[in-house]
Amino acid sequence: MDAATWGVAAPAIGSAFLASLVEVVEAFTIVLAVGTLRGWRPAALGTLSALAVLGLAVVLLGPLLGRVPIQLLQLGIGVLLLLFGMGWLRKATLRAAGVIALHNEDAIFTSESAQLSKTADQRRASLDWIAGLTAFKAVLLEGLEVAFIVIAVGAGRGLLWPAALGALAACLAVLTVGVAVHKPLAKVPENTLKFGVGVMLSAFGIFWTGEGLGIDWPGHDIALIAFAALFLVVAHATAATLRRVHPRPVTAR
Amino acid sequence: MSILVDVAKELLGMFLADARLATATLLLVAIVAALLAGHVEPLLGGAVLLLGCLALLVEATVREARHRSIS
Repeated sequence: MDAATWGVAAPAIGSAFLASLVEVVEAFTIVLAVGTLRGWRPAALGTLSALAVLGLAVVLLGPLLGRVPIQLLQLGIGVLLLLFGMGWLRKATLRAAGVIALHNEDAIFTSESAQLSKTADQRRASLDWIAGLTAFKAVLLEGLEVAFIVIAVGAGRGLLWPAALGALAACLAVLTVGVAVHKPLAKVPENTLKFGVGVMLSAFGIFWTGEGLGIDWPGHDIALIAFAALFLVVAHATAATLRRVHPRPVTAR
Repeated sequence: MSILVDVAKELLGMFLADARLATATLLLVAIVAALLAGHVEPLLGGAVLLLGCLALLVEATVREARHRSIS
């Protein structure tokens, strides 16, 4: 890969890695709750089934991307990235400003465990099935977001494989650390990651939407870095202003 | 069936967490497309897209913060 390709490949791989890290941590927390409460069989079955469904969806839908004209693909993915990235960035900015509560994996673990225990009292017979389904849903829903991010940051420049490798590296990192510590990964600075990923996805969104509309950005791929810097500065400034104007401490959940 | 509904909700929620922000973003892209079709300098269209998105982001964030401080 030459330097110019790296200019866009590195942010694509980095964004896929960081975004996947956030999503995999969320899925891992729920699978861990299922595994701890109901044993690892339903947790593993639910997880593997969801991964199989995701894999099937990617294998079936992936080749269709190759048939879409590149400019139309860039525009479509760019607009979706703008909607997704700015949504993430808005939420991360509100969390950074203390307007909404930070995501708390310990609290989610406790709440999922309590939900499963409650269900256990009501429907003891089908409990393994329900536990497996809980893991299945968590992995499928978070996995869908990972699949979208990989396609979104990779498809516009034929970087699907590097982006997929970034996502896979995130899965392996979370699994390795998760198996070692065997408890929710509460120490992951999730909002900082979401802030960074929101910035990168929004920058990619501007870049692809512009290219799809026929705009030839100055500096080509390097323009991505300038867009990311602008989003970062504006989001930080907004969070800082909101902290001053609305100094309302919120409890983490 | 409930899983399908949850998946559909998750997919919609991914892109439409704030309906007003999503609508305004789509409108902005449509305006930029119209400007470019009307032979406006492409870089000017790009600047409108970039600055417009930044302004929409700030507006959506401040609006949500105000809404939460009132309620």
